[in-house]
Amino acid sequence: MWRPSNIDRPTGVFIGLLVLSLALVTMDLRASGSGLGSTMRDGAQSVFTPLEHVVASATRPVADFFESLSDLFSLSSDNQRLRQQVAELERQLQETASLQVRVSELEALLGVDPPEGLDSISAQVLAVGVSEFDQVRVIDKGALDGVGLDMPVIDEGGLIGRVVAVTDSVARVRLITDPTIHIAVRIERTGETGVLTGRGSGPMVLELFNTDAAVVVGDLLVTADGRFPAGIAVARVREAARSEVGFSLRTTADPVAGLTRIDYVKVLVFTRDEATIGGLEDPSRLPATVPPGGTPSEGDGDQAPSTTTTTTLAGSAP
Amino acid sequence: MKLRRFISTAVIVVMAAALQTTMFARIRPFDAAPALVLLVVIAFARHLPAEAALLLGFGAGLIQDLLSESALGLWALVFTTAAYFVLRFRDRIEDDFSLIGPFVFGVTVGSLALFSVLGTIFGEKTLADVGLIKKILLPSLYNMVLAAMILPFATWVLGAARRRSSPFEL
Repeated sequence: MWRPSNIDRPTGVFIGLLVLSLALVTMDLRASGSGLGSTMRDGAQSVFTPLEHVVASATRPVADFFESLSDLFSLSSDNQRLRQQVAELERQLQETASLQVRVSELEALLGVDPPEGLDSISAQVLAVGVSEFDQVRVIDKGALDGVGLDMPVIDEGGLIGRVVAVTDSVARVRLITDPTIHIAVRIERTGETGVLTGRGSGPMVLELFNTDAAVVVGDLLVTADGRFPAGIAVARVREAARSEVGFSLRTTADPVAGLTRIDYVKVLVFTRDEATIGGLEDPSRLPATVPPGGTPSEGDGDQAPSTTTTTTLAGSAP
Repeated sequence: MKLRRFISTAVIVVMAAALQTTMFARIRPFDAAPALVLLVVIAFARHLPAEAALLLGFGAGLIQDLLSESALGLWALVFTTAAYFVLRFRDRIEDDFSLIGPFVFGVTVGSLALFSVLGTIFGEKTLADVGLIKKILLPSLYNMVLAAMILPFATWVLGAARRRSSPFEL
């Protein structure tokens, strides 16, 4: 007959620790991102950040060596690809310049003010998630620099993710490839809207509700979501869409931002509240979660002004 | 002596977590990195007394939980299980040294697979990840390779020449 006394002591400790772990999981899930778990995470991140700075500096030569070693093999093909990209960008630049002139003329004709650029805060990626399953990056700017919760983060390619946790000196960014992230997007070419969902790694899933929508390979998907400024490039359609039993059109899309090798990023000083009530005439009614213009609040030293710039989003909707 | 071992083990776990989030963010062959904290748990659980090894697994998992986005306690549960598994088999492994590499590979695969299943149960959608197999197999492979350095290092740090008659002798 089984008795508790039959269990040896290490097994008893093991069972006790399992129960404690499950209790912690339950407690953390019930708090849903706030409470003791969140406080402990912020505290741990604050304590851990100086160590990460030291370790990152100390191991930089080693990392540089291995990086340059891996770059050596792809140097020739990268060079060729970049030349093609430069030629393409020069062509686009010429087209954009002529379009800007035309837009200015039309705006003047209609009496519409041009869209204002968004303030942004430059930051460097300090660390990545501690496991392969973590779709997060830790950046070296925090609340003291003007970074706030839910702010979008971009690189030179497009949207990377949004800020999900902030301490005074660092912030944690959840990448758009996280399976829990869903983003409303618009196909830039046709204006059709859909939902883009992360799958941890690799291409994301795009679902369009209009089953007759025309989706072609290479179509650019831009944000059409209240949480992000409209018109930020998110992904490019990877393959032609197929209809899923008549309810939606489903395909895959590759993120345009370089998610695997992010180094420097920009945090856009934009919150969901601004998107919601951006049309109000009285700006004083805006919530005070973010200092106007991304300027720092009291006591935040001299760093923030030097890193806060104005970003005009290419292709952002008026 | 016990305090010195405790402090050195704790420092090494924290350093492993720091290396994992910084250096291995840049050194990622085939877009994957070793599960260094787990490897440290395996390496030290081979030598520590049973209860200390289990507490090490729990503590290291808790540190990883605090630095990740997963629910608090999830990695703690996985690492505690890994430590218990090592405790159960460590003496059999010592008998045949050539089994250590495959053993580390197996424990890492099992731990990451356990995390994937538990993560999905607790709403992390880990199993929905299209690169799941790669995220389990490559870190396990790297852990097996790094075991050649980390395991002797752990033995050296603990000054361990274990003298136990049973796997659960304290």
